[in-house]
Amino acid sequence: MIGARELCLRAGERIILSDLDFHISAGEFVAVLGPNGVGKTTLLRAIAGMHSPDSGTLLLNGREIRGVTAAERAKTIAFMQSEEILTEAMSVREVIATGRYPHHRWYQWHENQQDDEIVDRALAAVGMETFGRRPFATLSSGERQRVWLALGLAQEASLLLLDEPTSHLDLRVAHEMLHLLRTQARAGKAVVSVLHDVNEAAEFADRILLLGCERLLAIDRPEAVLRSGLLDLAYGTPMELMRAPSGALRAFPSFATGRSE
Amino acid sequence: MTLRLASLTLLAFLALLVSLLVGGTVIPFSQVGYAMLHPHAPGDVHVIVWGLRFPRVCIAAIVGASLGIAGAMLQGMLRNPLVDPYLTGVSAGAAAAIALAIAAGVAAPIVPALGFGAGLATAVLVAALARRGSGIDANRLILAGVSLSALFSAIVALVLTRLQQGGYAQAILAWLAGSLAGRGWHDLIFAAPYAALGLILAVLSVPALNALRLGDLRARTVGVDVDRAQWMILASASLLTASAVSLSGIVGFIGLIVPHIVRRIIGSDARLLIVGSAIAGGGFMALADAASRSLFAPIEIPIGVLLAFIGVPTFLYLYLRPGRKTA
Repeated sequence: MIGARELCLRAGERIILSDLDFHISAGEFVAVLGPNGVGKTTLLRAIAGMHSPDSGTLLLNGREIRGVTAAERAKTIAFMQSEEILTEAMSVREVIATGRYPHHRWYQWHENQQDDEIVDRALAAVGMETFGRRPFATLSSGERQRVWLALGLAQEASLLLLDEPTSHLDLRVAHEMLHLLRTQARAGKAVVSVLHDVNEAAEFADRILLLGCERLLAIDRPEAVLRSGLLDLAYGTPMELMRAPSGALRAFPSFATGRSE
Repeated sequence: MTLRLASLTLLAFLALLVSLLVGGTVIPFSQVGYAMLHPHAPGDVHVIVWGLRFPRVCIAAIVGASLGIAGAMLQGMLRNPLVDPYLTGVSAGAAAAIALAIAAGVAAPIVPALGFGAGLATAVLVAALARRGSGIDANRLILAGVSLSALFSAIVALVLTRLQQGGYAQAILAWLAGSLAGRGWHDLIFAAPYAALGLILAVLSVPALNALRLGDLRARTVGVDVDRAQWMILASASLLTASAVSLSGIVGFIGLIVPHIVRRIIGSDARLLIVGSAIAGGGFMALADAASRSLFAPIEIPIGVLLAFIGVPTFLYLYLRPGRKTA
């Protein structure tokens, strides 16, 4: 699906990540973790073709991503950022229908019946069948996140990139969102999501891609990453591991557990 | 929404019809209908309808539609409701060239073409200044447009001051206030190809413009080549505006407020908004021209002045009256 070889990313004058090598396959949910400013969003933007690598290559289904046109890329990659504000008054359905843009010919102005069916399926996949006519501006943060996901689904992209989809969401809504992402991965899509909460990543992701010290520290199963001690290095603070009542491994900064010096 | 668009079309059609009926003299509907159906029949009514009013109504509709489309596109691209088609510097550049040309005694038939060329050249200059990387920076575009417009307005003021109250000053003021007096088919033949090119670019830009409602970044993620779309929209708006200015002089209000009103009626979907703004702009301009011809006949009031007197209070009442949300 998507692979990086000796990838090096720059932000302004500064190299922020170098020598990244990884491969992410269809059907996987990969959580991208790392401290603030490490380059998580830049990595996502590079994969989405919106940030040119300083050196190295990014391959999308075996083809270098630089050579893929914007429309072709949009049919394969859906990139969902949570920050951008919507200034125009649009209904939920209008927002999601925009995802059909890359599938239209240059002369096609309107959605056809097939487009309408795909938008219906996207609405259903995120549990918002009854929200189609609602103005986007009236939605809650959690509902808006689901709309952005539905927009990506309407693109029929096989790779979903998400930048902090659970920020600003309460615990229950955040878990519903992550559950949705895992469902999409099980349905065969590759899901790559930047997350801030290590434990959310541990619970829902198939693998964790851990960035720190200007490089890729690990890309592995959550339990292996948590046990590796690399979280301490990435976040610059000692981490404590604990077992949740369910038996799953959890990590906390040691100051949170009251055991730091 | 389709019903609302149909209603808008019907109203615009009625406006065009009224514009054919009224003027210095009111001609009954039956006589206008007969003249329209028999273009080669003799008589005064035929001369008035085919020689004077019909070309003028067509020009009014094209000017209004062009300004409506250009305003809707630029407001959509920049996501800024304060933007109007003259932001691109077209009107100021055209006005300066026209003022200089009239002052220099250039033959009247050449003046509109000079205005068109200068307007378009100014738009190119504004676009060059607004360029950042391979795309357009919205803030730079607005700043460049406002700055150059101020410079060209100063040139016009200087020319007017030097000319003082002569006949040349009157001719320049007529351009600045906007008027269709004396316009005919020959003017339309000059401007039509450029307006048509602008329209084709607008039609091609509409799907991208619709996706741009999500913001530049999200539009990119759904596959819009944002840089290319911005250049196409700017080129289209400049061509349409320059064509309109060469036909009517500077007519304010339509390019700014018609897209606002249409957005209220049929929503922000660019596909409907562009069509609606063209229809409403055309109808509105035809009506304004009819009013300018007939209110104080035989004296014609400049359309720009009329539109400001009638349109601005209406707009203020609709949008800014106490208790109304200004969304």
